[in-house]
Amino acid sequence: MDNLKIQNLHMNFSGVKALDDVSFKVQKGEVFSLIGPNGSGKSTLFNCINGFCIPQQGSIKFENVDLLKIKPHETVKHGISRTFQNLQNVPYMTLLDNVLLGAHRRLSMTDTFNRWISQKEREREEAMALEVLDFLGIANFEKKYLSGQPYGIQKLVEIARALICKPKMILMDEPAAGMNDQETLEIAKIISEIRDILGITVLVVEHDMNLVMSISDRICVLDSGKILAMGKPVEVKNHPEVIKVFLGDEAHA
Amino acid sequence: MKGRYDDENLKWIPILIIAVYLSPFLLKSATFSYKYYLYILNMAGIYMILTVGLDLLSGFTGLMSLGHAAFLAIGAYTSAILVDQAGLPFELSLIITPVIVGLCGLMIGFPALRIEGMYLGLTTMGFGFIVKRLIIAFRDWTGGSAGLQVSKATLFGFTISNDWNNYFMIYTFAIIAIIVARRIVKSKLGRVFMAIRDSEQAAQASGINIAKYKMLSFFISGMFAGFAGVLFAHTNHFISTDHFDILLSVYFIVMVLVGGVGSIYGAVLGTLFIVLMENMFIPLFKDTLTQYMHLEAGDFQAFIFGLIMLLFIIFQPMGLYGMWLKMRIYWKLFPFNPRKRFT
Ligand SMILES: Nc1ncnc2c1ncn2[C@@H]1O[C@H](COP(=O)(O)OP(=O)(O)OP(=O)(O)O)[C@@H](O)[C@H]1O
Ligand SMILES: [Mg+2]
Repeated sequence: MDNLKIQNLHMNFSGVKALDDVSFKVQKGEVFSLIGPNGSGKSTLFNCINGFCIPQQGSIKFENVDLLKIKPHETVKHGISRTFQNLQNVPYMTLLDNVLLGAHRRLSMTDTFNRWISQKEREREEAMALEVLDFLGIANFEKKYLSGQPYGIQKLVEIARALICKPKMILMDEPAAGMNDQETLEIAKIISEIRDILGITVLVVEHDMNLVMSISDRICVLDSGKILAMGKPVEVKNHPEVIKVFLGDEAHA
Repeated sequence: MKGRYDDENLKWIPILIIAVYLSPFLLKSATFSYKYYLYILNMAGIYMILTVGLDLLSGFTGLMSLGHAAFLAIGAYTSAILVDQAGLPFELSLIITPVIVGLCGLMIGFPALRIEGMYLGLTTMGFGFIVKRLIIAFRDWTGGSAGLQVSKATLFGFTISNDWNNYFMIYTFAIIAIIVARRIVKSKLGRVFMAIRDSEQAAQASGINIAKYKMLSFFISGMFAGFAGVLFAHTNHFISTDHFDILLSVYFIVMVLVGGVGSIYGAVLGTLFIVLMENMFIPLFKDTLTQYMHLEAGDFQAFIFGLIMLLFIIFQPMGLYGMWLKMRIYWKLFPFNPRKRFT
């Protein structure tokens, strides 16, 4: 069953073609990876799905909802949450509060003044946040302020914030960027568990080839806004165009 | 599990309340000029209510405002007109006026959806000029540039007639304002405000309607300022445009900055610090210094405050509250060479 359906997407930034006729479908319960060299439009694609960018042409449908018609803050309501390439956190808030930010929609305004009325609601969300932190293996840190925490933990907190929204699909923009090998393995495990245990469809942008090859059901390769190849990891790995682009990339570096 | 979320530091509140209600008696027994000190403390109390609200807007939501003197003015004049000219009871004005000023804040909040940072500061400052003009223009109600006499406050049949009574009224409301602000900061609303300040993207991705909450922040901040305005009018008994100079807006920002941006107790400390500086310490050496530096008295104050702000931004960006937090860590770890932990 199709979950996300992207058709003929065109996105121009004053002449720069960030996305050029991109179409693909993501199935429910899939781990779908987007790879490609720097500036190939991966984050832009996420921003289009998320409503931060409005493409000039094309359509994005998620479970029959037209995502181009809704505002960025409403995507969560339709079951899509995301993490960012650069850390997007609130440093002067505790880990727990950062995670609870994602539960925003389920907490009512009475939280501010009628603590007795919203006590149950609060405790429920708090328990949930702790559960999510536990799932990611960073429980016991929940009272700490985020500002002093290592990069790896801050990245995980973003994932936690995205998970507590109870999404149907999660978009992860380079979850393993800047992490060491150990942490990257951890991320791979987490991504698989998000799909297997929580049943969430995962769309992930990643540069780490080993990670991508090991976790993905399907991979889509973008190059300067165009889809170069798409398919199972083995197919993509042996695709001549992909080898050219990526080897060329390495030759430059 | 229970109450894990409520890390709110409530144990200070009773101590604070006792200290606040005890200090006028201590002052009275300590010095003959206690009335003067009470007057200054009352000023600080009123400003405190405003700066706590300003901190919610500028410190927590990250929206700069140089228009808070104007909000104070609108509050003061509205209440004066409502009570003295429309005959409304003071208690009612205490409710209606903040709402009116909050709505004014909402109005200013509209441009805030599009502009940011310094430009928002300038826009709100422009708002301050307009308000001042309007007050002078509507002289039938406001007394124009001559100013306006305001009646004394009567709370439930009890007339608040002197600074002694004013003190208890102002600080009762100030404590309520502080508690309310702390509740806001520690709840969902506070999280939303901070998220808007630090990462609009994360906020939106979490389902937060940024426009709505920016407006709400302006509304709430306006309410606090309006509340302060009511108290200002009815304890000062005389208001004029001179009381709400643009420079006052800048001082409010200095108070929040010195106290520590993004902390309610910080705003309180900063306000106390600046008001006491202004009225008790600066006068001590004003004469000698103005002699050497050829400054007018008013300029001298601006000079000193500018200097204080600069020093704080450079050496103590976390403000007075940050200093206190560091001190607390220091004493907690005391014998174990804690110095290295916070330099
Ligand atoms: N808001 C924007 N305004 C103008 N140009 C943009 C904007 N966002 C992206 N671009 C351009 O679109 C192109 C694709 O950028 P994008 O961030 O999507 O790349 P990416 O694949 O995520 O790269 P990376 O691997 O470095 O994250 C780049 O040329 C970039 O300069
Ligand atoms: Mg990117």
